[in-house]
Amino acid sequence: MNSDDDRISYLAGDPAGDLDADEQAELDEFRALLADPSLWVEPAIDLEARIVSAIAAEAQPPVTARPPAKVINLDARRRRVGRIGGIVAAVAAAAIVVVALAVVRQDGDQGTEVALAPTQLVPGASGSARVFAESSGLRIELNATGLPRRDGGLYYQAWLKDAAGNLVPIGTFHDGDHVTLWAGVALADFPTLTVTEEQADNDQGSSGRRVLLGTVETK
Amino acid sequence: MAVEAETIARFRDGDPEAVRAVYREYGRLVYSVAHRALGSRELAEDAAQQTFVQAWRAASSFDPGRELGPWLATIARRVAIDIHRREQRREHDHLDDAAPTERALIAEPPDIERTFEAWELRRALDDLPPDERELVELNHLQGLTHTEIAERLGVPVGTVKSRSFRAHRRLAARLGHLRESTGREPNEPTIRTDG
Repeated sequence: MNSDDDRISYLAGDPAGDLDADEQAELDEFRALLADPSLWVEPAIDLEARIVSAIAAEAQPPVTARPPAKVINLDARRRRVGRIGGIVAAVAAAAIVVVALAVVRQDGDQGTEVALAPTQLVPGASGSARVFAESSGLRIELNATGLPRRDGGLYYQAWLKDAAGNLVPIGTFHDGDHVTLWAGVALADFPTLTVTEEQADNDQGSSGRRVLLGTVETK
Repeated sequence: MAVEAETIARFRDGDPEAVRAVYREYGRLVYSVAHRALGSRELAEDAAQQTFVQAWRAASSFDPGRELGPWLATIARRVAIDIHRREQRREHDHLDDAAPTERALIAEPPDIERTFEAWELRRALDDLPPDERELVELNHLQGLTHTEIAERLGVPVGTVKSRSFRAHRRLAARLGHLRESTGREPNEPTIRTDG
């Protein structure tokens, strides 16, 4: 057996034979790497879909409504409601073709609206949130449909996320019907709202299993 | 292992099919790099997602003449470091209370300098025939002996030994390449095989 065969055999777990200490140490490094579970771990099946959705969400330019009217009277409000209805209809149409498209509408005390698009985890889900600035922080009224109720230690959690990926938890809930969330950060700094599937496992971090996603255009 | 320049161009445009193609080529490798740095499946998935999003944002600056894999590995490493720091800050809100050796005060995740070694080794494993890859996994990850592997797979011990030698010869060839390409060993690789 030549030296190469000795090295290959040692790599495979056989005794060192004629290998010197340096050769053994060098091969031991690779044996340690081969025994490292991180080398063998496989990502979640839905990770591909999440990545495709995340890039699609950023690749599509956000649709921004006209600025809020400065003069408020009944006639103007009626006209604005009509325009808003048209905008909402346009947004609904856009949401059908865009995987994850965020829509913002700022309308004074009506708050800022964020459209939430589904991911591949629950493709039939949809939702929206309306964000109000209160003295104590942001109050976020979320409504989602198509999300199966989660009980028994399972729940949904909503987050605000900044451009660097930092997450701020803003509340947990069983289902998406009339959910009130609170945030102590600025929407301009944390413009992305996500909803994830979670479980009571003493892990305070996000599971990464996003079911709804939307980004606020703050320009 | 390579993605064609045309696919990279479509990736840059956010074409979902191109994103899927790039992910299928490099997704497991990116995930492996992130998992090695972070030690958590959830954080590694978050890192992998951020890696591909950041790669898409920066794709216009990518030189199509270069190999995409090492570029993605570099991004994954940086993203993993950012997430590691974020998580450490989150676990230790009051740094005044932390000991000087506390991990929260250490900038780099453990073993991050070996990211590229793990990257190359993972590529080598993915290139192995499935039966040889399974055998290497049973041997190194699960710590089984040749005899135990033979019992598990229902094949003679001699078959396990010959298959194991063949698999490790292929890996050795790639490891020789690793030492050469990373400059860790300035001389010719000492492992020379036909694998």
